[in-house]
Amino acid sequence: MTVSRRLLLIALSAGTLLSAAPLSAQTTSLVRSDREQTAKVPAEVLVVLAKEDEGKIDPQLKNLTALRRPPFNSFRSMEILSRPKLSLTPGKDAIVTLPNGRRLKLTLLRVMPDGRYKVRAAINRPNKSDYLPLLQVVASAGDPFFVAGQSYQGGTLVVGVTVDPKKKTAQ
Amino acid sequence: MESAKTDEKLQMFFDGELTPEEEAAMRRDLERSSEGKAQIREWEQIREAMQSVSTEWAGAIDSDALFARIEAELGASAVEEPVQQTPPVLRVVPGGRERRVWGAVATGFAAAAAIFLAVMAWPAEQAPPGVGMARGSEVLEVDFGANAGTIFNVEGGAGESLAVIWIDDQEVGMP
Repeated sequence: MTVSRRLLLIALSAGTLLSAAPLSAQTTSLVRSDREQTAKVPAEVLVVLAKEDEGKIDPQLKNLTALRRPPFNSFRSMEILSRPKLSLTPGKDAIVTLPNGRRLKLTLLRVMPDGRYKVRAAINRPNKSDYLPLLQVVASAGDPFFVAGQSYQGGTLVVGVTVDPKKKTAQ
Repeated sequence: MESAKTDEKLQMFFDGELTPEEEAAMRRDLERSSEGKAQIREWEQIREAMQSVSTEWAGAIDSDALFARIEAELGASAVEEPVQQTPPVLRVVPGGRERRVWGAVATGFAAAAAIFLAVMAWPAEQAPPGVGMARGSEVLEVDFGANAGTIFNVEGGAGESLAVIWIDDQEVGMP
């Protein structure tokens, strides 16, 4: 066998191996992704009324250190108004009604390859788009994102959304 | 010791290397004895003989021809003849070694592919989503509508960055 033929053979073998590797990994990822895309993912919405007046900080919030940092550190009292738990199904909207009558709509768009969740959120009055028409975030399991600023009863609503809260490893 | 000095002095005397005073004194000493006189004659004979021989050689030698030959030889040696280099011996690489080389290359490719496969497949099977991966939350896209809004990043308890979307609005009543 000549050198050029050997070279060709080796190149073909290497090419086959290298092209098969990502294919195999992709297949594995697809299988896993398909399984996760159809599975329901738990989520939790934390609705807090925060005020600058002196008051109590709800003890359930003591582990949520982010609420003690800017821009939340100007609040002297925090009260949990509701803490509904949801089950997010990819592609389907989940609705949470907020104390001010607006509705928080959450949609799990997909599970990212790195395990994070891509979520779409909107907060509006029914059939309106008066507050937050669109928000897309990626969040790790157990790590919340916050939407704050709605005025309510002399205070401010702070809405925290946590996807897959039980998988949180550290706070 | 004294004899050596005398011989050296005699040699210098016959070579004409003594000062005129020394030469005159040496000649007077030698001429005082018959032995000295004999030495003077003997040395003079030798000197005359050498002079005659050198004169004869000088006459016999064709100096022009000699210098022409020397120059010719010097010129010839200045232009060096090209060195006849032995051509390198070519060696045929045996096929067995070639196979070993390509075998090593193929093994390297296979090892690289195996490592690549392991890296790609391992995390998908071993690491559950959200554990040991990217932490926190971040905004991909936001539409504040008609309101003014700000995006903050707040540090969580584990140092992760958490997204905060702050939108100012007017208080709304119940629908």
